[in-house]
Amino acid sequence: MLKVENVKKKFIKLDEKKKKHEFWADKDISLEAKEGEIVGILGPNGAGKTTLLRMIGGILEPTEGTVKFDDISYAEDEITIKKNLAYLSGNTKIYQNLTSYELLNMCCEFYGVDKDTAQKRIEKIAKKLKMESFLYNKIEKLSTGQTQRVNIARCLVHDPKYYILDEATSGLDIISSQVILDFIKEERDKGKTILYSTHYMEEAENICDKVLLIHKGEVICTGTPSEILKKTSTTNLRDAFFALIGGNDDEK
Amino acid sequence: MKNNVKHMLKKELKEMFRDKKSLSMMLIIPIMIPLLIIGMSALFEMQTNKPQEDYNKVGFTYELSETEKTILENVGIDYEENTVEKLEEGVQNGDVNMYVTKEDANYIFHSRRDDKSSYTERLVSTYFESYKQYLQTAYLNNHDMPAEDILNIITYGYAPTDADDGTSEYFANYITTYAFLFIIMAITVSATYPATDATAGEKERGTLETLLTFPIKSKDIILGKFLSVSISSIITGLLSLILMVTSLVVANGMFTIYEEVSLMPSITSLAFALVVIIAYSCLISGLCISIASKAKTFKEAQSALTPLTFISFFPSMIAFMIEIKSSALLSMVPFLNFTLLFTDITNGEVDILNIVLMIASTIIFIAVMLSMIIKQYKSENVLFTN
Repeated sequence: MLKVENVKKKFIKLDEKKKKHEFWADKDISLEAKEGEIVGILGPNGAGKTTLLRMIGGILEPTEGTVKFDDISYAEDEITIKKNLAYLSGNTKIYQNLTSYELLNMCCEFYGVDKDTAQKRIEKIAKKLKMESFLYNKIEKLSTGQTQRVNIARCLVHDPKYYILDEATSGLDIISSQVILDFIKEERDKGKTILYSTHYMEEAENICDKVLLIHKGEVICTGTPSEILKKTSTTNLRDAFFALIGGNDDEK
Repeated sequence: MKNNVKHMLKKELKEMFRDKKSLSMMLIIPIMIPLLIIGMSALFEMQTNKPQEDYNKVGFTYELSETEKTILENVGIDYEENTVEKLEEGVQNGDVNMYVTKEDANYIFHSRRDDKSSYTERLVSTYFESYKQYLQTAYLNNHDMPAEDILNIITYGYAPTDADDGTSEYFANYITTYAFLFIIMAITVSATYPATDATAGEKERGTLETLLTFPIKSKDIILGKFLSVSISSIITGLLSLILMVTSLVVANGMFTIYEEVSLMPSITSLAFALVVIIAYSCLISGLCISIASKAKTFKEAQSALTPLTFISFFPSMIAFMIEIKSSALLSMVPFLNFTLLFTDITNGEVDILNIVLMIASTIIFIAVMLSMIIKQYKSENVLFTN
């Protein structure tokens, strides 16, 4: 189980006059994600979703609070946590000079997957994600959709227990987005824990078991999509969000 | 843990050898070494064996006696008598190399300052020495004095301790030392690009974030990157050494200035040179990785590393120009120690203690630099520019 408790993140920003300013990207966020659960983290751009996921993914260190996977924190055993984790964001960049096969093989090496298992997994995943035609092509030659499929394959090769997916469908066409959504559902059905951040409310409504609505670094509501709709007396998460923040924030 | 360093190294090498820019940086300077050796040797030969007809045209603004003309012919000067204006014009358009004016017993040489003037001056000085001796002998004889005894009251001469006059050895040492300095420059240049690409470049391309999600410690990431840049620098150093030795052997057979010496370094010298190359490659790679890691963009890293090329070359040039001798203490001074050891290798005077001290100090410097950068690699300010 993934347990995030009272996590906060402070950044220091420099203004034009090089004067330092404190900025809290996330303020006291807690969440739990069980096996076989998709937890959606929703909010507009700049809400603090990416910072939160980077802290959960071990890329950033929380200013306060703890992140624990199966009761183990990063301070206790970073390597074991990362071996059971896959992190994918819409901005994730992969090595352009390598072929898809080389990249997947490299990931297997880093995650400690033995050669035979790696070979079998790569073949299986390539078939499943329809990557056979470009498996041995350099990544720099692939289309955006193909690159994102390689990215998904990269997350699958070590058979992780937890997935952190940050705006994974952002900028993708409808077919490529569907490939990712199908993959998320399939992994959930296998009992994997998935954290899924997006600013597409409808997408989250369809696949998430539980949702955290974040605004300006704070959780403004949490529950199942139906609980949130009921609480806000709205018919979709988009309206629910606006109801919770009291109208269009920009207009204010 | 060791496996992760190996996997990082494999990944970095794959990227490096597929990148055309990294490859060209690895090769550009080494292929200039043969040009340097052959070019400089040709220049030395040209200077040494300059034909006398190129610089022996001398004008005189006064009337020459028959004696003076005889001495001029003996020395090999192609003389003419003319006015100052005509001779000045001749000097300006290159028909005359030098002209001489006379005021009582004082003779003044006039010429342009060019590559031939020193040769002409030497030739004219020889003539005046002979003419002066003739006048002194005639004067002493006229006054019934023993001219031979007076003029040769003492005699002196030069007897070189070497088999030849030492010129060949001087040129050989000069060219070899310069070639070694060029190897240092080649290694420095070849280390900067891959180091920038592996650190700031990876940050800029966004792949560093992906790498940080893998179960690898920052120590393994840095070690992998350091080793890959070191390997690339060692390859450049090795290639430079091979090209240097080949060029020296070719120059040895090609130019008469090296007739008396063998430019082929001994196996021991080559082994020592290899040790120095490996040590320098590792030091410069560690330094480049440390500096470039702090940069947020590729451009910023390149700007930060540019002075390093000069810094690495500058102490070497100074040491070479003012002839600093190697010592145990200087063997621990980075940059300077490599040049001094290369000079010792050229002269065949290597002290093993100096080599050991250089290796030990280099290992310490690298360890300090890498531990600093490993600590820094956990800093979000360095890893995430936004």
